Amino acid sequence: MRFKVYLACIKTAFVRATAYRTDFLLSTIITLLSNILFPIVTIVIYANGLEFPGWTMWEVLALQSIFSMSNGIASMCLSSVLWATMDHVRGGSFETVLLKPVSPLFYIVTTNFSPSQVGLFVGGLVVLIVSLINTGVSGIWGALGAFVLFIGGIVASAGFYLIMAAISFIWVGNSRLDEISSSITSFGNYPIGIFSKGLGIVISFVVPAAMIGSLPAQVLLKGAEPLYFLGLIPCGLVFVFGIWIYNRMIRRYEGVGG
Amino acid sequence: MGIINVKNLRKIYTTYKRSEKGFFASFFKRKKIEVRAVDGIDFEIEKGTIVGMLGPNGAGKSTTIKMLCGALFPTEGEIEIMGYSPAKDRAKYVKRIGAVFGQKSQLIFDIPPADSFAMNKAIYGIPDDVYEARLREMVELFGIKDVIHKPTRVLSLGERMKCEIVMAMLHDPEVVFLDEPTIGLDVIAKATIRDTIKKMNQKGVTFILTTHDLGDVEELAERVIVINHGKKIFDDSLKKLKLLLGNKKIVDVSLAVPFEGDSLDGMSVNKNDDGTKISVELDLDKTEVKEFLTVLGQATDFTDIEIRELPMEEIITRLYTE
Repeated sequence: MRFKVYLACIKTAFVRATAYRTDFLLSTIITLLSNILFPIVTIVIYANGLEFPGWTMWEVLALQSIFSMSNGIASMCLSSVLWATMDHVRGGSFETVLLKPVSPLFYIVTTNFSPSQVGLFVGGLVVLIVSLINTGVSGIWGALGAFVLFIGGIVASAGFYLIMAAISFIWVGNSRLDEISSSITSFGNYPIGIFSKGLGIVISFVVPAAMIGSLPAQVLLKGAEPLYFLGLIPCGLVFVFGIWIYNRMIRRYEGVGG
Repeated sequence: MGIINVKNLRKIYTTYKRSEKGFFASFFKRKKIEVRAVDGIDFEIEKGTIVGMLGPNGAGKSTTIKMLCGALFPTEGEIEIMGYSPAKDRAKYVKRIGAVFGQKSQLIFDIPPADSFAMNKAIYGIPDDVYEARLREMVELFGIKDVIHKPTRVLSLGERMKCEIVMAMLHDPEVVFLDEPTIGLDVIAKATIRDTIKKMNQKGVTFILTTHDLGDVEELAERVIVINHGKKIFDDSLKKLKLLLGNKKIVDVSLAVPFEGDSLDGMSVNKNDDGTKISVELDLDKTEVKEFLTVLGQATDFTDIEIRELPMEEIITRLYTE
């Protein structure tokens, strides 16, 4: 039953996303191209003799492509949740969500699925394949471990989106919430080694941004360290906290004039 | 015990007031104010009735409806509808109600209403055959067979509102809340929507509607609740509301010879510019129609006469300002 509802809502989201065909195609292509071209900055850095200590150019590109793929999946599923919630709260139309006999979060997530963000994932995947051809992987266990951490990164990313969406109930109309979320997660776009030890611990085990890119890449390319897997715990906690705080904030919804 | 039971319902908001010193001062310091949107309302509604909820802008009608729908948590008080507490039992409760917010669409703007209906079918778990039959019935009732396949954004207000009502009714709700369902509609669209509400009501559906259109109330509601400043100021039948200002009628008279003076047997007279048309507010508790006609015949040479009810607008205006 719930799966049927899920399918119906996702179908509606697809129909809505493709209602304006040119916009949909352009968004998808631009997202794809901009993500295939994102390595330019890294390539320029390495072409000028600079580097991230201990990381070759192809390794950094692999890391950044994992970050991009992780972000792509989280964006497809949850990036619109923030905007949709913000619009509903500011416009006083959240009651139309609360009238549905399903969880408001479930409804918002499924009906705001953003297929055009697939470009972010596909772009990252293309760069990852090219990078791995040039670097190779640390072995089957490294690949499996990286996959597990990659899933953790998606969960953490989703948690960050949910927390920001929850804040939009009280911080009404703040269009910078998305940037705040991006700024936090962007720590995962670089090797942990470039940060101080303290910051490295924070982004790995407290606010698990490193799980979105750097830790899975580290395991995929340089082998698994059991300690890294502890980072899965805060990923789960961020996600669960995101769901809890979102549902909690709904009580704060006050609508606007009728 | 009614199907809807409301006791001492309150909703208090905290909001901010801009400083009178202007924008700059407000940016640094804003004054917090408490708004009592709904302030201690009680009522009970029996199954199968249509209740009109009236009140001036900002009176608390929409806030009350939103609390009844489970969309807002009351600050205080109790709501019990069909055995549910709307905010606490929201998911189970909303499955059995329908709601239309005239100014807030439940349809998805970019896609045709048919797609929104199909999504609701899955969400409410309506069986295929029941859905098909109900959709066909409602589409025919409203005459919107082609409309439901056009994107919602291109629909006229009337077409959209009909689709909103279909969306709210597809799952066969037992209680329906309509918040200004005829706002901005032409007379034909209003009539169609009123007819549909009557037909649904004959099947036992309970309706609560808020409106500024007194025509909706006169045509549909058996009972009227008037809210002002968050408080209930009237709750009785439409007939009683009409008698609220006394047992009065308006008598419009056309005259062959212009009327001179300002009163007739102590009753104040309104007249047009040339004095050939006058109207008198007749208090039937003091003067019977027969008596008035005798006085009128003696004082004037009238050619036509019309006796009508006191306009609802006037009753409501006086009620709001009292």
